[in-house]
Amino acid sequence: MSTVASITVTAEIQRFDPSQDAEPRFESFEVSGLANMSVLDVVRSIYENQAGDLAFQFACRVGRCGTCAVRVNGRPVLACQERCKAQMRIEPLKPFPALRDLVVDRTEIESRLASFELAPLRNNAHPGQPELIAPDLAAKLCHMDSCLLCMVCVSACPAVEERPFDGPAFMLKLRHMAEHPADRRDRLDQALQGGMLECFNCDVCTQVCPADLSPAQAIRDFRRELFFGRGKEA
Amino acid sequence: MSAATLPRNTTRQSEGLLHGDIARWLHRVSGTVIVVFVLVHVIAQAVLHVPALASVKAGAPWLPAVQSQHWIHAALYFSIVFHTLYGLKLLLSELGMRVDYRISLWAIVAISALFGLREVLRYAGV
Repeated sequence: MSTVASITVTAEIQRFDPSQDAEPRFESFEVSGLANMSVLDVVRSIYENQAGDLAFQFACRVGRCGTCAVRVNGRPVLACQERCKAQMRIEPLKPFPALRDLVVDRTEIESRLASFELAPLRNNAHPGQPELIAPDLAAKLCHMDSCLLCMVCVSACPAVEERPFDGPAFMLKLRHMAEHPADRRDRLDQALQGGMLECFNCDVCTQVCPADLSPAQAIRDFRRELFFGRGKEA
Repeated sequence: MSAATLPRNTTRQSEGLLHGDIARWLHRVSGTVIVVFVLVHVIAQAVLHVPALASVKAGAPWLPAVQSQHWIHAALYFSIVFHTLYGLKLLLSELGMRVDYRISLWAIVAISALFGLREVLRYAGV
């Protein structure tokens, strides 16, 4: 029977309480446990044993909800999926405003998503029964729909930092709709308004995506559509 | 087309390299190297061949020699090849060609390094 080694983790966590702090500060904690702990395990241990006022979010613990996204040593990750390290600096996702400690304000994200109206806009009424769809396209749509909206890609994206660009996750969502056979809205125009042309095409979003999606490929598909015209009937 | 997948089980994303960041910075730095070398080359040639700039040549005798250093030529050739190939890769991928970002980066770095190495060997008389 194999045994798992133990580890003592030193975690510096960004603390910020807008009612008390003018600026975010870092507080250091030590947690001992198994070496295969996740970052979320460490944060929960700190919350339960050392800092009961630590604000953080999580829900599913299996990488399906995207709620626990944080930055570890500057790199955005899902806390429930990321293996802990001996030295960790845990911060909330940038560039979103921190509400408190590791919790970010998602108001702007939600309003941006709402403004995109991410539901198929049909030309005609629904026939009342399931419509035929090519299996390959159905699989592709299903895959693209597995985006967690965790904003890990947006936080990692260098173009978001430097340029007026909404971010890879939004482009992926728009591409998902653009590929949908029932949707008739001009998703390319929405992508252009969201700063699609500002993307560096560096694939950082592809590398960090916890759902193994490629927002960069979605952007490339939009750009190809811009050069060569639409792939589906208008 | 791969089927829908579950998220990765235990990631170590806070360690290791971000290939996209490396590629983006190398592309910027190589572009800067090319521009800087062209500027230095133009100035050095002017200093060498324009009589009115003879005083500059006397004041900065190292300037003409800068453009014939083996390591500068190696960096220049690496930069030219990397900047060209990575630019082409970006262009092709945007026109619809599927290119893996990891393989393409290291392949381009390797090809560029070969050109840089060739300059070093050329200066060494190999």
